[in-house]
Amino acid sequence: MTAGAPLQVRVRDIVELAPSLKRFSFEPAHGGLFPTPPAGGHVMLTLRDGARVMKNAYSLVSPPMERARYDIIVRLVAQSRGGSDFLHRKVAPGDVLEMARPVSLFPLASSAKKHLLIGGGIGITPLLSFLPEMKARGARFELHQLATGEEVPVFERLLAPYATGEEIRVHGGGRAAFDLAGLLSRQPLGTHVYVCGPHALMDAVTGTAAALGWPRGKIHKESFGGATGGLPFRAVLRRSGIEVEVGETQTLLEAIEAAGVAAPCLCRGGACGECVTPVIEGEVDHRDDFLSAEEKAGGKVVMTCVSRARGPRLVLDL
Amino acid sequence: MSDQGIKSRPRYHPIAPDPQGRHHLLVVDGPDVPVEALAEGVTPSAFEVWTVARKSAVPASPAMDEQAGAVRVFRAVPHLFSALEERLARETMGLRLYAAGTEPFLWDAYGIGARAGLSPQEMAFAHVGTQARRIFCVHCRTVMEGVTTSITTCAGCGAPLFVRDHFSRRLAAFMAVQIDAEVPGEVPQAEELYS
Repeated sequence: MTAGAPLQVRVRDIVELAPSLKRFSFEPAHGGLFPTPPAGGHVMLTLRDGARVMKNAYSLVSPPMERARYDIIVRLVAQSRGGSDFLHRKVAPGDVLEMARPVSLFPLASSAKKHLLIGGGIGITPLLSFLPEMKARGARFELHQLATGEEVPVFERLLAPYATGEEIRVHGGGRAAFDLAGLLSRQPLGTHVYVCGPHALMDAVTGTAAALGWPRGKIHKESFGGATGGLPFRAVLRRSGIEVEVGETQTLLEAIEAAGVAAPCLCRGGACGECVTPVIEGEVDHRDDFLSAEEKAGGKVVMTCVSRARGPRLVLDL
Repeated sequence: MSDQGIKSRPRYHPIAPDPQGRHHLLVVDGPDVPVEALAEGVTPSAFEVWTVARKSAVPASPAMDEQAGAVRVFRAVPHLFSALEERLARETMGLRLYAAGTEPFLWDAYGIGARAGLSPQEMAFAHVGTQARRIFCVHCRTVMEGVTTSITTCAGCGAPLFVRDHFSRRLAAFMAVQIDAEVPGEVPQAEELYS
């Protein structure tokens, strides 16, 4: 459902922010300006590594009003499925890539009295695009970024342009030293909380907030990079009449796409529900944040972008 | 004509404390919590209760006694609403607001809650007492209280008005529109519907 034709983007420059963090800046390959992106938006890059095609989603960290360039920050993950490794090692300034137009599944709530942003590690990226937007709106906000000790200065530098007072803090002491319950229990009525980071952090924030009486509608989380690979299996696409092998480091969605089947997708991170596909046979290892516990237990659907088969075979109505 | 099949007509349910909430504040348009306002098995002690005595002699209550079981009595509705605004301005996430009383009271409380940042999911209302309506003349913006008939005359512009079920949560009033706009002077008999 990504609207409009993909963009052709040229790598303008690549800046190493930390040993495993690089910022990539893109400009329109054929001149002109990019579309105005939504705050908290992300883009999907098509990465062609030889015969292998990967589509990875990255949050835009450039301000929403910036149309001459789009910036993303990419963490080189040790057990990378290929996307971050490809970007870090093989992409160079001048290269042209294909990028789907930005969409946002993580918008700022317009009715919020205050925005409380909590980031963990590379989860800072969607929060970075919120900051100029909140400043422009004159919105009240507070941002807490959790980082490993050596990356504290990196995140402090990224946040420095927006820090005017006490409202932005980088915590390097680990999650145990971060008083999450205290933070969530002193927020004024009308606060919305947004969290992006490792699953353990997102679960801690959503669980603690709910236990303190925050309504579900005021808790927002952005999950990316949920796909971690697993045992290989065979997927049977009943309607298309084909079978595909899903490799260890490949997602089900990527394998389907590699076979030439146009499967629905949007966030590629288990969050939006666009790729939900009926299951005819086989057991699913659900890894998404979209389906309810009942839907997961029911086993009738699978989100192809992050979930896999629990077993050798999965038959899909696709 | 009392059910015009209009979806904006609010529906109400007896109140029970939201198990997800951390603190529960119940404001009542009267001296006591009406039994019919609460769900079966729920007692007023589950809430911090604010009531309206409608008299000048009200017992002094410790203003900071803000917990379930505490009762605070106000002289009149504006007195309660003014305290509610101040209270919500310093409240923290986790509060649930409940109101029991007439419709204008419920929706005025809703407006105060919404301006303080509460979402509809953090508020609940039970309608008890009169069905009389607060209406809003869509032509001249006049608000009239206590309307009990299907048709009435606007206190602001004199137009004969039909009282619709169309309810505005923002204005906390039912919309009223001129009934003889097509054929001036053709005004049906008013019926007593909302008492």
